[in-house]
Amino acid sequence: MNLKARKYFFISFAIILSIILIARLAQLQIVEQKEYGKESQKNSIKKIVETPARGLIIDRTGKVLVDNKPSYTLTITPYNFDKSLLEEVANLADEDPDYIKELLSRMKGTNRFNPVKIKHDIDFKTIAYIEENRDRLKGVSYQVESLRYYPIKFKGSHMFGYIAEITEKQLDDQEGTYYKQGDLVGSTGLERYYENNLKGEKGSKLILVDVNGREVGPYNDGLNDIKAQNGSDLHLSIDADLQEYAEKCLGKRRGAIIAVDTRTGEVLCFVSKPDFDLSIFSGIPDSKEISKLLNDESKPLFNRVIQTKYPPGSTWKMMMSMAGLASGKITTTSTIACGGSFQFGNRTFEDHGAYGNINVSRAIEVSANVFFYKLSLMIGIDNYHDYAKMFGFGSRTGIDLPSETNGLLPSQQYFDKVYGANKWSQGTLVSLGIGQGELGVSPVQMVAYVSAMSMSGLYNTPHFVRKIVNPITKEEQVLQFAQRKIDFPQKYYDAIRKGMYLVVNGTGTAKNIKSSEYTLAGKTGTAQNPNGNNHSWFVGFAPYEDPRIAVCVLGENAGWGNQFAAPIAAAIMIRYLSGNTIDAYNENSTIKVHD
Amino acid sequence: MQNKFLDKFDITIVIATILMVMMGVVSIFSATYANTSGTDFYLKQMIFGIVGFVIMIIISFLPPKYFSKFAYSLYILSILLLILVLVFGKTINGNKSWFYVGGFGIQPSEFAKIATILALANFISPGEESRDPNKLFTFVKACIFIVIPAALIKLEHDTGTTLVMLCFIVPMFFWAGISPFWLFAIISPLVLAVLSFLNPTAFYIGIFVVGISLFFFKKKILISVLILVINLSAGFSVHYFYSKLATYQQNRITAVFDPASDPLGSGYNVIQSKVAIGSGGITGKGYLQGSQTQLKFIPEQWTDFIFCMIGEEFGLMGAGFIVIVFFIIIYRLISIAYSSKNKFLALCCIGFASLFLFHLFINVGMTIGMMPVIGIPLPLVSYGVSSLLTFMAMIGIALNAYRHKNLYIT
Repeated sequence: MNLKARKYFFISFAIILSIILIARLAQLQIVEQKEYGKESQKNSIKKIVETPARGLIIDRTGKVLVDNKPSYTLTITPYNFDKSLLEEVANLADEDPDYIKELLSRMKGTNRFNPVKIKHDIDFKTIAYIEENRDRLKGVSYQVESLRYYPIKFKGSHMFGYIAEITEKQLDDQEGTYYKQGDLVGSTGLERYYENNLKGEKGSKLILVDVNGREVGPYNDGLNDIKAQNGSDLHLSIDADLQEYAEKCLGKRRGAIIAVDTRTGEVLCFVSKPDFDLSIFSGIPDSKEISKLLNDESKPLFNRVIQTKYPPGSTWKMMMSMAGLASGKITTTSTIACGGSFQFGNRTFEDHGAYGNINVSRAIEVSANVFFYKLSLMIGIDNYHDYAKMFGFGSRTGIDLPSETNGLLPSQQYFDKVYGANKWSQGTLVSLGIGQGELGVSPVQMVAYVSAMSMSGLYNTPHFVRKIVNPITKEEQVLQFAQRKIDFPQKYYDAIRKGMYLVVNGTGTAKNIKSSEYTLAGKTGTAQNPNGNNHSWFVGFAPYEDPRIAVCVLGENAGWGNQFAAPIAAAIMIRYLSGNTIDAYNENSTIKVHD
Repeated sequence: MQNKFLDKFDITIVIATILMVMMGVVSIFSATYANTSGTDFYLKQMIFGIVGFVIMIIISFLPPKYFSKFAYSLYILSILLLILVLVFGKTINGNKSWFYVGGFGIQPSEFAKIATILALANFISPGEESRDPNKLFTFVKACIFIVIPAALIKLEHDTGTTLVMLCFIVPMFFWAGISPFWLFAIISPLVLAVLSFLNPTAFYIGIFVVGISLFFFKKKILISVLILVINLSAGFSVHYFYSKLATYQQNRITAVFDPASDPLGSGYNVIQSKVAIGSGGITGKGYLQGSQTQLKFIPEQWTDFIFCMIGEEFGLMGAGFIVIVFFIIIYRLISIAYSSKNKFLALCCIGFASLFLFHLFINVGMTIGMMPVIGIPLPLVSYGVSSLLTFMAMIGIALNAYRHKNLYIT
């Protein structure tokens, strides 16, 4: 090989290597440019999700009942998180390192640039520590979130409900992909029922990040950012003052109160006791407090207004009266002999007195059991079931809360199924006539029924929300709830209403609550409880002449003493009608109410 | 006059060099633009680019005999510096290869490159008569020249520069007139070692080709068998040596073939630099507009990974331009070597050409995922005073060779 050949050999070698480089560059920069361009965008642009503030909950007077407050959430971005920091972060969050590891491992397979929420509601000291050690604590940061805050003097636990971190099951079951791990979602009450209105729409911000995930500025001057849309506000029919008063009235007793506007079905107050402090659930869910709630034998998480299924006792008698009248078995003037007890087969059914031949209004006034024993047998199970169904029993009222019970309204099929066809005695009907036995009603069903009775058959769906208002556009969405007319002759309603009037204003079982200012009407009841003291009921409405409020009070295990339910109901009605000024309820009242 | 000037002065290589130095300054400015520290790097590079230019011109005017005369002294000096830096040096990025003098880091290993090439050239062609490159002993002795600095640099944990020290001996022997057979004997074990590492089948095919070639060279049977044995053992031992490498080095090698295997570890730079260059497209994202560069996705991108920034912000036009200009420099170095009647200087130029080619191919190759991540700079462009001055001094010597191309030995 001469020198010239060597020269060309060497140059050729250099040419070949240069061509290889340029060819490879062309492959990357022309053929695969699109792919790498996308990759480059993904690489340097970080999407930050902005969580909107939840909608507020506001009462009928415009008072904010459920508000938001800012809070800080500790996050870890798996992409640049150094595992050796685990111990330190666990300390910082006051959590078990294994718990954090588990949270992070749950995120496997998703975008490693997305921060994982580790702990809600961290304090300023922790934030300061993160800020000071920013360079060292790679991948550790915090987000501002808004948490629920309750600027009220009452609890409203079961009505508002709480929000909690979304569960894995909820994540799996959701339609679409809106919710992400760590999101807060309405779990119970109105928070859950109106979750879609309250939650708002998440926004997103695209930011440019450097290799350490540090923000270096907005992407494309923020033109691609989507602003978070705050949730819509719920305007409730609740009267904060009445609600506070009602909660006070029930005190430490177990029970339920619900009052509605008879003309619309709007809920005015809603109490279930025992209750709990909603703030336990906002911020750091205090697991100790929560397990205490879950294990409490008095079941504070149970919503007694919409979830109990107790027999209504004598408060059922208006229902029976209507069934009797409507089925034509009795008239408003026909009488039934009430001798003090009733013999059916070999069983004797007792009454608290002998009233002679009485009509339906009188029967309600004195709560004559024999009248309704006999009436029940006269109308039969089918009428019993069908008329009660018209007044909303045996099915949900449709109140705007989740987890409402259907209650239990027996029918021929029901008994056939439970006891076998023809194996059950008509004697079952006798107890059912006075609202005992296999009959389960909830206070919300009761208040809707009483309201309908007071309004001559206008049955309103009880509901909380009057309108939903978008906080930005101020656009109002007025909700429509079902309203129907249970069409029976006016005189039937008049006879029943008269009975209820006499209960308070005649010689009836609640004459102790007679008021000089407002004409109250109602009916007491005692539900026999095989497991303990009887439950005390009162349903009523006022004013008698032009009803505006219907109320139902349930005192769990409050015993015979309708001294419990009736005075509370009266106090609430009076306070409402008088414009929330009269404190009519005396907790230590010793007035005995005869059932 | 014009012709006489051009006859004495290789204007092409000078312009190419200046272009690359300027490109370097511009790129370093962009690569450090978003930084809080190192924002004055481009200024330093510019100042030393001018200093380097002056040194280059001075060197080009020196009497050529000086280079051969002082070759060994320079070589011994550079060895001493390499030992000193091992004892007193400062460790940066795991490499103990820096002296700090008045705020400037100096890497003796960079100067060792040029000193070793001079010494090797002087060894092969010491005076009027060159040594016979085809004697086995000549090659073995020559190897000692490069093994000493290479070993010292390896002790500094600077694998990249160690490999650089091994890249020019074969081309220089090739230029000195080594026979194709010996060239074959030297290169084939290396090729087979790489083949064996990649794929056993490729290795067996390679052995077969070596066997056939040996048959056609028609050398003594003993020598042929010996070479075959060397080839076989090179192929089989490569796995043993691979296993002896530090894990991070193994990872770097695997990352070339499968960067996704560890996207945040060793494959990180490869993926990020490929993304940077690939996303640049034909025309690039524009100066200071490269998101990967400006967002610092590649660590120390003003040194070894400077080519990413060029690929991203200037696109294929810029990246291709760099490769072509480097090719022109290499082409001119070979041409000067060819035209020079001074064999010592010609060998020096060949050594420099090999060095430029090796640096270019490895450095650019690693940023586009063709070569392992070996920390060597892109000549004249990457930030680094020692490296810049060394490469400019090389061009100076080449200019000197061009100026004195008609002198035999003086």
